[in-house]
Amino acid sequence: MTKTVKIGSGSAYSTDRLDWAQELADSGLVNYMAFDCLAERTMALAHVRRLADETKGQDERIPELMDRFAGYLSRGGKMVGNFGAANPSAAADDVVRGLRSNDVSGVRVGVIHGDDVLDHVLDQDLELPEMGVTAGQIAEQVVSANAYIGADPIVELLDEGAQFILGGRIADPSLYLAPIAYEMGWELDDWEKMGTATLAAHLLECGTHGTGGNYVDPPYRNLDIVHLGFPIAEVTEDEVIITKLDGTDGAVNIGTTKTQLAYEIHDPGSYLTPDSTADFTNVTVEEVGPDRVRVLGATGRPRPDTLKVLVGVDQGWKVVTEISYGGPGCLDRAQLATEIVAKRLEPFQESIDEVRYDLHGVTALFEGQLPGGAPSEVRLRIAARCDDRATADVVAFESQYLWMGPAGGGGVSTQMAPAIGVTPALIPREDVKIVTEVIDQ
Amino acid sequence: MKLREVAYSRSGDKGDISNVCVFTYDDGHWDTLRRELTVDRVRDKFGDLVKGDIVRYELPGTKGLNFVMTEALAGGVSRSLRADPHGKAYQSLILDIDVDFGTAP
Repeated sequence: MTKTVKIGSGSAYSTDRLDWAQELADSGLVNYMAFDCLAERTMALAHVRRLADETKGQDERIPELMDRFAGYLSRGGKMVGNFGAANPSAAADDVVRGLRSNDVSGVRVGVIHGDDVLDHVLDQDLELPEMGVTAGQIAEQVVSANAYIGADPIVELLDEGAQFILGGRIADPSLYLAPIAYEMGWELDDWEKMGTATLAAHLLECGTHGTGGNYVDPPYRNLDIVHLGFPIAEVTEDEVIITKLDGTDGAVNIGTTKTQLAYEIHDPGSYLTPDSTADFTNVTVEEVGPDRVRVLGATGRPRPDTLKVLVGVDQGWKVVTEISYGGPGCLDRAQLATEIVAKRLEPFQESIDEVRYDLHGVTALFEGQLPGGAPSEVRLRIAARCDDRATADVVAFESQYLWMGPAGGGGVSTQMAPAIGVTPALIPREDVKIVTEVIDQ
Repeated sequence: MKLREVAYSRSGDKGDISNVCVFTYDDGHWDTLRRELTVDRVRDKFGDLVKGDIVRYELPGTKGLNFVMTEALAGGVSRSLRADPHGKAYQSLILDIDVDFGTAP
């Protein structure tokens, strides 16, 4: 009989919903659920939480996760996720606590440490090409550095019998690739197979984005997407099938699959992950049943010698204020408001790193590249990044003072938050020391 | 006609790089898509939104094109002050490009 591994997607970002993921787990259709919890900025924000409280910095959904997935784990289901974020040890504590509170025993928890390379990045004064500086030149601002790590430690822990595996900045596709490789008995240096496993992983890693969520565009692409299903991959020696739970909305069709295939890849002949250099150039997508597609034709070459590192950089404070204008002349009044605020902020420009003025409905998304007609209402958006909180408060105050003119401004809102930027760097693979730990609960 | 009448798209971000992929509904339009959706046309549409290069990759298996645009996100999602720091809306902007697909669809 043909060996098949069935793996479900459970999360695509740090606050993704868990209810629909639980539906998939409870369906009994999959043996594995993998959860990507980290977007580019999530790690840096998690480090900020950890700096404030050393028991924080992990995924904040773990208590809910454990309540929802206790049944699945009791039935022997396996879970892999980068729930650790900036604090894998604290995440492991939360997982153990959740297992106990749900009376689940006999679960071996695998923990992956070592993606945190902050000391190394500073010691080696790594280049930060997108910012045009080295880490050392902005050392006081560098708050975090995490390497995207691959499938090796996950496979190792599965081999040791771990049922729940977590780590920090495990790369999104590696969370899926590892169980596929382990179950299929594919060696991690079988590059052609790694290309296939990367393809399956890539089609799962964005959760409900891949099952129609980011596809609907009436009247050309209509789908019900109220209650989406998370995607499932069924992988055999010969093919990858992508599908979803029966009875859920959304779709798995040629269009949803092709757009997910090319999502966030650059050269389709060289999709770089910690596990392979995958080649999707000749991948084909074929519908073989309702919400069921077959993808074939991925290949791969050896994995890169370097790992990508995301370096978190403290950039002061970010403030965003909005105010609406409507009716005749609204555009003129919004533009006048822009000029007034710019003048009032002139005395503070030394402490304002960047400020921009956009008009929702006119220039906010495309900066005027897509001209429209005269709007009946506009919303002025003033966004600034400031050296310190005091200056950000000034920007907020001066923006809010538009209450007092030009005429008819209403609906003021303000958001204020620390500005944590992330920027990429590269690090030799051997400089990232991965350590695994097993906890029997 | 607008590209949106014959094709669909998706945009993604990595740092300050945006990629926008485009596929036609009808695989038979692959050659026309390659002829019509040039880097020059994409650059005209995106203008100053993209400060860096635009490179076009082909996906012959799925009959798609992938445009990779550098310095396209005002510093990237974590540093940009834009209202749409991911460039999620770029997938809609590209579909506004005027193309000649003959009598299609």
